[in-house]
Parts: sequence; structure tokens; C-alpha cells
Amino acid sequence: MAVIRDMMSAFELFQPANVEDAAALLREHGEQAWVMAGGLDSFDWFKDRVKRPSVVVDLGGIDALKGIESTADGLEIGAMTPLTDIVRHPDIRERYGLLQQAAELVASPQIRNQGTIGGNNSQDTRCWYYRDGWTCYRAGGNICYADTPTSMNREHAIFGADRCVAVNPSDTAPALIALDAQMVVQTAGGERVMDAADYFIGPSIDITRMTVLEPGDLLAAVRIPSTWAGATFYFEKVRDRQVWDFPLVNVATALRVSGSTIEDARVVVNGVAPYPMRLTAVEGALRGGSRDEATAERAGELAVRGARALRHNGYKIPLMRNLVKRSIRAEA
Amino acid sequence: MNFLTWGTDPWGQEVLIRISWDLLYVASALGILFVGAHAVWLAFFVKEEAQPIDEAALAGVPEKVARHSLASRVFHWVMAASMLALLLTGFLPVIGIQFPWVTIHWVAGVVLTLSVVYHTIHATFWLGLSAMLVGPKDISDATSRFKRSVGQDAPAPRKHGKYPLENRLYHHVITLTGGLVIVTGILMMFRIDTPLWARDPYIFTDPTWGMIYVVHGLSAVSLVTLVIAHVYFGIRPEKRWITWSMILGWIDRRHYVEHHDPEQWAARSEGSSGQR
Amino acid sequence: MADIEITEAADPGVSRRNFIKGVIAAGAAVGSANYMFRGAGSIFAQPTSPGAVERLITITVNGQQRRVDVMRQETLATTLRYKLGLTGTKIGCDRSECGACTVLIDEVPHYSCSILTHSVRGRSVRTIEGLAAEDGTLHPVQQAIVNEQGFQCAFCMSGYVMAAVGYLQDNPNPSRADLAHGLSGNLCRCADYNKILNTMEQAAENMRQA
Repeated sequence: MAVIRDMMSAFELFQPANVEDAAALLREHGEQAWVMAGGLDSFDWFKDRVKRPSVVVDLGGIDALKGIESTADGLEIGAMTPLTDIVRHPDIRERYGLLQQAAELVASPQIRNQGTIGGNNSQDTRCWYYRDGWTCYRAGGNICYADTPTSMNREHAIFGADRCVAVNPSDTAPALIALDAQMVVQTAGGERVMDAADYFIGPSIDITRMTVLEPGDLLAAVRIPSTWAGATFYFEKVRDRQVWDFPLVNVATALRVSGSTIEDARVVVNGVAPYPMRLTAVEGALRGGSRDEATAERAGELAVRGARALRHNGYKIPLMRNLVKRSIRAEA
Repeated sequence: MNFLTWGTDPWGQEVLIRISWDLLYVASALGILFVGAHAVWLAFFVKEEAQPIDEAALAGVPEKVARHSLASRVFHWVMAASMLALLLTGFLPVIGIQFPWVTIHWVAGVVLTLSVVYHTIHATFWLGLSAMLVGPKDISDATSRFKRSVGQDAPAPRKHGKYPLENRLYHHVITLTGGLVIVTGILMMFRIDTPLWARDPYIFTDPTWGMIYVVHGLSAVSLVTLVIAHVYFGIRPEKRWITWSMILGWIDRRHYVEHHDPEQWAARSEGSSGQR
Repeated sequence: MADIEITEAADPGVSRRNFIKGVIAAGAAVGSANYMFRGAGSIFAQPTSPGAVERLITITVNGQQRRVDVMRQETLATTLRYKLGLTGTKIGCDRSECGACTVLIDEVPHYSCSILTHSVRGRSVRTIEGLAAEDGTLHPVQQAIVNEQGFQCAFCMSGYVMAAVGYLQDNPNPSRADLAHGLSGNLCRCADYNKILNTMEQAAENMRQA
């Protein structure tokens, strides 16, 4: 962990009460503005004085971005809804248990009380070389300190690395992708709705960002269609300690099973790539198969095809293989 | 505007990271300014000097004068394509058009390197280097040509050899910048994952890497200016016969007699053996 | 020297802690004087952006309205301890990784090191100082700690108590495993977890009876 310093650098604080004001502030201050949701990612950056924005726009006062509403086809969750509200929401518990399980495993109770679904999906990577403020690729430099012959890279990527080997740390992101959720993004040009999977970008697209959000953009809401409501869900997160920690690997699987036949499947893994990884090849192989040990075994093998371990993260390959396998096979 | 971009190394010291991308805009602006200035210059200030064609000389010259062998042409266009790919993949992300560019960039870089290696060998041992040399006579010819173009008195210059002086100078500048960009580019491939060798960013110290990135960046933005100028000349109407020769391999006899000096560049018929 | 002796002799009730509180309060009063005459309608008033914040704000702490001068980047833990003198709230890691700074905001446990004081304007903050009744009767959770001797060094205790109060208000009938999960956002460096859970089981019992 970084050296603890006494206080954050000074910044100008804005706490707009509605989305229009927030958007106007972001337009006005452009790249100077830091968008803050629950603040748990932001304060780490500020206290370590690695990021020193001159303007912070705190979305915490915007009630329009909070709350869970039923829509004609599923649910709409405001981006500023705390994770605890998602864990406790009866409809999510009942019909979208995958998201409930994922949200329940995020960090600690106090963090879930304050951390938001939007923040959990938009948070920056936890690669410590990057978070310590070294000028790596992701920080605008031209080196990856985590991928050298001497790097400590136990938590880093086995897929999708392109110069940068950091991973996406979100637990709710794979659950949302598995539920075919959509992200509602407010941009200067208006509202953009995209599949959750398209919200995340890897370093090959833009090495300095984890999501499509550009300066001035806001994640406004997450829409969950009823497509996977009540399906068979499996979420598992493996981490070094059972509270606070980010996933080493997590898996979110949704299966639609008829008898013992898998009609359709979504399998999404996070913690292995710079973005949550939907395993479409695995899904294709599962479709029409029977839900048994052999299918699960095959799915696991298929999942890790093409994985490339760094010096210290070879364990992630069997870990991911077995998590995918466990997520498919029927409960004993 | 900045010239260089600095970062902090793990020991808290300032290190060079690369040139500032402001220079990309400067280089593009320079290229466009040059094109504009040259076009205005030609249109309004240069006095056209009628080139008398010695009809008698036409007779002794083959109808199609071979200029570039197939091998030379293929090299030129492969190099041009890879250069264009390199510039686009290198600079589009800088100006905000994001896409997975790294693999295309290094593969195009390898193609460019191989083509340049081929060209170096081909030019040294088969084409000969003499056509590219610049001597004192070339300078006095150029001075005369310039003076006459603005209406001053000057002795008549010789006609061009195989390559006009401007072509040769352009080639030498490209050799320098291209050479630097290739050498630094190959070194930079130690920083990314390629099947060629193991990634190891520690083969040089951070300051050395900084210099390598700066040289790569400076050469690359210079190439932007140079390529803009080159493409501009390639599509100017009065120079199109030269561009066509890079596609077809020959120039017609009128152009040969009008522009070239048989003593420096003897005409050989297109399709005859021994063409280069 | 004589002065000090006389003072101490005359009023032994002025503890060091109260003296510091007094100094802090006086400082706040002087600081806020600057703001008192800055009113509406001033010809010097600048047009402000929507969402801009004032430095002098009112927050509700333990049922009291507190006027306090707060920097933009100030965390609630800093304000509570160093502006309001409520030093029962501890700062351990200052990184939302230990739980020592836990307070209730609208009766929900939060890490006060990781929320801006400006974010609790108009919300109700409860700290360890606000648990006991007016007459000094301890909160059931506090009483359980006294009864069970639940903590060793107790630096983490106020955070644990606030987390437990918040959790037990939501779930009055937790199993031991539920309690462990509900209090998992707090760390004890003495590793007294078993005793803490014993205590909190009794605390739950106390709260049900209260």
C-alpha cells in the first residue's frame, strides 16, 4: 500500500442536484473535472496524491441517479444506487440473483453501503505499479512495469493484454454482462445506450481508460432486461481474504436449462483480462449440450484456451478453468 | 506548446517519455504550409521557361525509356504502403481515433524494415549508388535553375540525370529519418509482446529509452511533413509523368529528351535486357 | 506557576479534553465570524455555479446542529475529530480498509474517513458519543461490551460498536455467522474476533430486550 499522507490536495468541489447541472459542470471544466460516485476509488487516488484534480464533481446529491425501478422489460438501476440497496432489493434477489450475489461479495459492508453500481463498474484498475503513480502506459507513459522479467504480477492478466497487463477489478460487471444488461451513458451529444460488454474497453483500444466514458460523460443507469430473469445462476469470487479484496478471478454464469439440456448460456469471467471477458466460445459449446460433468469439463478447457500466463500468475489458468467448470456443472 | 513529455520513474526522478504530440500538429502544419507556399510560388512567381525540344534527338531515343525496374517499383509501393500504415496506426490514436493499433503498427514496421533492407542491398550491388550522388556541379546547376526561374540571368544548367537534385536530396533525408525510425522502432519492439523475442524493457535504462522514444517520435513527425510534400509532388499535374513511371516503369521519349541529360543517364528501351 | 496551581485547585472539572474542545469551539467561532456578514443581496456576491459549496456548513451530529468550517477535501472523520472534538471516532488506515472510523449516517454504517463532510450536509450523523442516553445509560451494545469485556486494546472498538448498532437495527436476530458477515467491514489487530462475536451476540440480545 502506498505511503499514507495526511490529507488530500485541495480541489474545488461541486455537488450538483441534477444531471443537467452535472453535465454543465463537466462541460465547463472538461478534462480538469473528476467525476466522483461513492468516492471509494477516488479517495485512494486523492489521498495518495497520485491524481490531483482541480475540480471534483460529486454525483452523490443527484437523487435522479439513485433507485431501482421496474420497467416494461425488467429493471432500471440508477448508477448512483448503493450496492447494499441492490443486495436487498426483493426483485433483484428473486429474479436476478446473479447480480445480488455479485454485489454482496464486493469489498465490505460499509463500502457496499456507500459504493455504487456505477462506481463499481467504472472504477480504475488496481495494478499497484499504476496506482503507485509510476508513469506506466496506463498513466500516459511508455512502459509496463508489471510485465517485465522481474515484475510481481500475481494479480495481472492472462488474456487481452496489450502492453498493459492490468485487470478489471469489478464483481458486478460480469454479472451485468451475463444478464445482457445495458449501460445508459450521458454524453455531450445526448444519451447513448450500449450493451454492458461494450462499456468496457481494453488497452488495445485506449490504454489509459477502462470504460468508454470520456471526459464529460456520465454513466446514468443500468438496464437489466427480463431475458435472464429467474434463470439458473452461479457466481463465485476467489480472493485472498474474504472481505475487502478484489477478485483474483470471478465467474458469473447464467444458464437456461430444460430438463438436463442447456438451452442457452452466458459465461463471463473477470479478473483475468483488462475488461470483463464474456466467453462466447464456451457459451456456443454449451448451447444444446446436456448439463453434466463432461460438458462442464469441456467448458472449462475451452474457457482457458489461448490464455497466456505472466511470470507469477500461472495459477489463474487452472483457477479460471475450474471456476467455469464449477459454474456449469449441476449442484450435487 | 511543449517539445517533450516527461514522466516520473519509480525512483521519483523525471524521465523523458517521448516528444510532445504538439509536434505532430506542427509537422502537419509545416507540410501543409509548404504545399500551399509551393503551389502559390509556382502559380504566381515562376516564369515559365519554354524548353526547346530537339526533334532530331528524339529519333535516337527509344519510344519508352525504362526508368524503374519491376523490383524497384514493387519496393517503392511496399515501402509506401507500410509507411502509410505506420503513420496512420501511429498517429490516428494520438488525434483521438482509437482502435487496436499496436499489432498493425509493428507488423507494418517489420515489412518496412525488410523492404528497406532489400532496397539497400539491391541499390548497393545492382543499381549502383552513383545515380544518387550529389556533386558540386549539381549545386551550381540548381542555383542557375533557380535564378532563371525568377527571371535573372544565369548560365543554362545541365538537364537532369536519372534523378533530379530534389529527388536525390529528398531520398537522403528519407534515408536519415527512415533509418532512425526503423532502428528505434526495432528497439521499441522489446517493449511489446511479439513472437520475435522476449519482452524486456530493462535492456536499456529509462533515460536511454526516453531518448529512443524521442528520436522515434521526431523522425516520425518529420516523416509526416516529408510524406505530405512527397504526395503533393506526386499528384501535381506537371509531375504526373514521373508518378506514372513509378507505376509503369518507363517514361516516354519526349519527357526524356525534354528533362534528362543523356550523358548522365543513357536511355535504355523499356523491355530491353539489363534494365534496372 | 502559582496561577496554574490556583486554576487547578479552583476548578478540577476542567479536563484536558474539555479544554481542547473549548479551544476548538473558540476557533470555530472566530473563523465563522468572517461569514456572518456575508449575506444575500451583497453587491459583492459572485454568481456561483450550480452545485458549488460553501465552506461554512451545518451538519447534524448526534442530534445537534453543528456549524462548522469545512474544506472541500475534508473527510468526515477529520471534521468529527479535529473540528468538533468528537475523538471517539478513530482513524486507523484512512483508506476504508480497517473500519475504526465507522459512524452511522442516516443510521447506515459508513467509513467516515472515506466520505466528504460536504456529502453529509442535511443528513444525520451518529458517532460513538451519541449512543448513550442523556442520563448516562449505556446503549445495549456498549453495555454488552462492559459485561463481556469484549475488546483488548479497543482502538477498533468505537468502529465496531457503530457497525454493530447499524447492523443490528437492520437485522435484530442474527446468527453468529450473520454477525461475522455483518461486522466483516471492521478489523481488530488484537485478533479478538471470537470475544467480539460473543459480545455482539449479547448485544443483539440486549437490543431485543431494550
